[in-house]
Amino acid sequence: MTTTDPSTRTGVAARAVDASKVYGTGEAVVRALNGITVTFDRRRYTAIMGPSGSGKSTLLHCLAGLDRVSSGRIFLGDVEISAASEKQLTLIRRDSIGFVFQSYNLIPTLTALENITLPMALAGRKPDPAWLDQVIDIVGLRDRLTHRPAELSGGQQQRVAVGRALASRPDVIFADEPTGNLDSRAGSEILTFMRQAVDDLGQTIVMVTHDPNAAGYADRVVFLTDGAIVDELAAPTADTVLDRMKRLGG
Amino acid sequence: MGRVTLQTLRAKKFRLLLTSLAVVLGVAFVSGTFVLTDTLGNVFDSLFVTATRGVDAVVRAREPFSASGPGTADTTRPPTPGSLVGLARSTPGVVAAQGNLLRYALVEGRGGKSIQNQAPAFGAAWYPPRGRVNEALDLVPSWRGARSTQPAGPNDVALDVKSAENGGYRIGDQVHVSFASAPPRTFRLTGVFRFGGSDEGLAGATLAAFTPATAEQELANPGQPPSWDEVDVRAAPGVSEIQVRDRLAAALHQAGVQTRYESITGAQLATEQSGNVKSNLSFFNTFLLIFALVALFVGAFIIYNTFSITVAQRTQELGLLRALGASGRQVMASVAAEAFVVGAFSSILGLALGILLVTPLRGLLSAFGISLPTGPVQIEARTIIVALLVGTGVTLVSSLAPARRASRVSPVAAIRDQALPASSGRRRYWWGAAFCAVGILALFDGLFGNATASQAAVTIGAAAGLVFIGVAMVSPLVARPVVSLLSAPARQFHRVTGTLAEQNAIRNPRRTASTAAALMIGLALVSLIAIFGASTKASFASAIDNQTRADFILSPQKFLPFSPGAAQAVRDGFAAASKQPATVVETRNGEIEVTGVPHAVLGLSSDFQQVADVPVRDFDRAAFARGGVLIWEGVAGTHECGLDQRAVCEPGSTLLVRFPQAGTVPLRVAGVVTNRNALPVSTNYTVSLAGWEQRFPQTLDAFVVIRKPSDVSTAQATRIVDRAAQRFGGIKAENKAQFKASELAQFNQTLGLMYVLLLFAVIIALIGIVNTLALSIHERTREIGLLRAVGMTRVQLRRMIRDEAVIVAVFGSLLGLVIGIGFGGAIVQSLHDQGIALTVPVGQLVVFLILAGLAGLLAGWIPARRAGRLDVLHAIDAE
Repeated sequence: MTTTDPSTRTGVAARAVDASKVYGTGEAVVRALNGITVTFDRRRYTAIMGPSGSGKSTLLHCLAGLDRVSSGRIFLGDVEISAASEKQLTLIRRDSIGFVFQSYNLIPTLTALENITLPMALAGRKPDPAWLDQVIDIVGLRDRLTHRPAELSGGQQQRVAVGRALASRPDVIFADEPTGNLDSRAGSEILTFMRQAVDDLGQTIVMVTHDPNAAGYADRVVFLTDGAIVDELAAPTADTVLDRMKRLGG
Repeated sequence: MGRVTLQTLRAKKFRLLLTSLAVVLGVAFVSGTFVLTDTLGNVFDSLFVTATRGVDAVVRAREPFSASGPGTADTTRPPTPGSLVGLARSTPGVVAAQGNLLRYALVEGRGGKSIQNQAPAFGAAWYPPRGRVNEALDLVPSWRGARSTQPAGPNDVALDVKSAENGGYRIGDQVHVSFASAPPRTFRLTGVFRFGGSDEGLAGATLAAFTPATAEQELANPGQPPSWDEVDVRAAPGVSEIQVRDRLAAALHQAGVQTRYESITGAQLATEQSGNVKSNLSFFNTFLLIFALVALFVGAFIIYNTFSITVAQRTQELGLLRALGASGRQVMASVAAEAFVVGAFSSILGLALGILLVTPLRGLLSAFGISLPTGPVQIEARTIIVALLVGTGVTLVSSLAPARRASRVSPVAAIRDQALPASSGRRRYWWGAAFCAVGILALFDGLFGNATASQAAVTIGAAAGLVFIGVAMVSPLVARPVVSLLSAPARQFHRVTGTLAEQNAIRNPRRTASTAAALMIGLALVSLIAIFGASTKASFASAIDNQTRADFILSPQKFLPFSPGAAQAVRDGFAAASKQPATVVETRNGEIEVTGVPHAVLGLSSDFQQVADVPVRDFDRAAFARGGVLIWEGVAGTHECGLDQRAVCEPGSTLLVRFPQAGTVPLRVAGVVTNRNALPVSTNYTVSLAGWEQRFPQTLDAFVVIRKPSDVSTAQATRIVDRAAQRFGGIKAENKAQFKASELAQFNQTLGLMYVLLLFAVIIALIGIVNTLALSIHERTREIGLLRAVGMTRVQLRRMIRDEAVIVAVFGSLLGLVIGIGFGGAIVQSLHDQGIALTVPVGQLVVFLILAGLAGLLAGWIPARRAGRLDVLHAIDAE
């Protein structure tokens, strides 16, 4: 898609314009997203927060091309993915997006290294060896590369997932509760890697979380309630996030 | 627990359908076979009831001994002399007695066209309706606008409706008829009759009726006074069948001939004759049932596999049931109950499908040259019971091991997200190896032991079953390296999708192995047949090419032996054309008894070595030509020779041979046959044709092998031979190359039929692949979602699944090929002394492998499409 090094680019990585997502019809209609307009800048680490049912995961899925909005538009860089075909979406996900899910991130039959390079293998591309080296060092998996997921701890598995998300140098990495299944030590490790990815490698990360500590690693927090953005916080800490959540909840 | 079972079944309709299909097809095959055989049996029952209509009792000769092989009933029964008609008439309680016979009489259509199919061509005596005993035949009043009358003079004939129609005859037409010994001649068609009031009643046979005097004369056995097959007797009113039979028996006793002649009731005769035909048909039944059993066996693997997978997938659910208080026994019972419902459901469906299958099955057989008569479909209680028992039984037994495994799920499994602990693999492998070993021992016992042919067949079948199960149990051990080898092209051409397909195929070696096992069985049998067929064909071709020097061969058009008059006509034709004699060797098949054991015997003209390389040790040609016997090396020197147990068979000794009519005759052993490859049948005893007519009631030729005199041109010789064949009808006249080609074509047809019947098993195996893949994909839903999320396209996903299907299919086929080559090689080796040498049709086997791969591709198509339609987001969120 693009050969520009994302670390040298600035501007908007992804945005949603008046995006709505409606499930069901008539009486049973549910508005998961209700006309959201939001922008995510490049080289920034953004956390999306909100109570369950607020639409934060739906927003992430729509931004990442896993789900489609009912109305409104979604852009990845300059590309309007809300208008892309299923096939184009797949290629966009493969070439321009990195994913970290809460759990079950890895293909059990592939080694750690194979998992990391999977999107590139699917694209039939060779990974850039220097970049791959850098990524492997950041997630600290050099001695685990030939292991299969079953031989790795939960924290290590998530590190492989982060490695995979970084390896193809995507335009944006979307992370859906990446630490939700981890103990606090392994969790903060992952969050540190992601922070490094933004600071040192110039990556862009959008992360859904319900954990104020996790959000504290971000550059900015967006708060959602009932499918709409209700608040924002720049340069958050765990305490300021918790404080804001209490206010919103109350 | 019952509710849980039903809910599970209802929730998984697609799976239930696929699993059922494996059983449905097998059961359909079994029940279709039974229905077909019963339908045919019914046709013949009513045929023979009709054939003996009006007959209260018959007097006939006793069979001196029963013949050895199938299809030989009544072949040893001597004729009944005309004097017994008088004896029967003068017996009290008898109002009428008439001689009856049914002998070879081939009717040609107008212009020499053949109207015969595989059913026999008969001639019989026509008695005027008034006062006749047998009432099977009814004259139709008119035929194509002309009055139909009964044959009244020596040149008159009447035909059955079907023959008159197929022959294109009108009343008054000349009809050409060939006989067993009397020269062929033409008759005038005076009438057309129905058999038992039906146009189809004769089950394909043709029947020509003559006046009793003409019938006696033309249909008689050569060299013997005219005689009947039996004497039909009508009892006086008030005298029962049994009474008249017993009075006839008393009369025979009084006349002092009760050891040679007997009396039975008309009903007994009908039952006996129908039974004879049905016992010939039972060969078909067995033949088809073997293939049906193979299909069921393959189905059993699928059931086992499906239940194993679903039990593994439901570990958590089963654990929950245990945690809520269900006992291991209850869990096991719930799985067994599921199997029972699936089995019963499939059996009922299979039975229904089987009944529908009768017509296509008959069509299939007739497409391969086996035409069978039609009749009302017979569904007997036995068929229903067998279908239900077999279908339910196979399903239950196959689910037993998975059900046991389910019962061992611990309650903790409900909260632990992990699959069942694998049962001790090592023990399983030992068992598998033991099965293989016992199977191979059984194979060798069956092939090289002293069992009878049918015992050996059962042993070999059991051996194959054991080896299949054994290999299926052991094959997970080799799955990893073999699959990795087979995946090389997938990895090469499909890169990461190929690698993922390979990884998926060996992720659970046991599952892959048992899925592959189903196809393995099909391919093993297919390649066994291919090897056996190729070896037999190559050996036959080489025997024809290298061991015979025939210019022409006369052979039957439809498997039925023909009049020896044809051979004589060839001799006469060459005698008129040349001063040098032609060599015309006739071969005939008969039945004899040696030391109380029935044997097939080959009748052969004494100059057979002129046309075929049949090496004979210590050959006393003169003794053979005078009526001696040649013995096969295999019985030479054994104590099988003669009634004297101490006598050893060797050239010059005397063999006591019991002929059906001539009684026990001492025959001089005129030589020892050391290689019988060039003979048409592999008999232990070969009798020269000199005196054959006196010793056998049946004198038809099976083959006639001809060498022309050197001064007759090929073109002229061809004319002579063709003319002789045409004159008698029902005969193919071919040169050596043509004969070889048409025999091989016939053989190929039989092989083709077996391949088609095995297709059933292969289709079931492919359903197994579809089923396993569908279940595996269900299990891997989240993984597929993830792959799609990180950028696998639909095309790539479908390719990955199809690749896996191909890898599994080729893996199973390869195992099957190895087993098939082993079994085929062993079987061919055991036939070595029948002149069959091993030929491995490498090209054909490679084609089978490729076809199996393509079939795998096809089997992968459906699950691949289903997987491609998965919604990415739902897949990722799937539990």
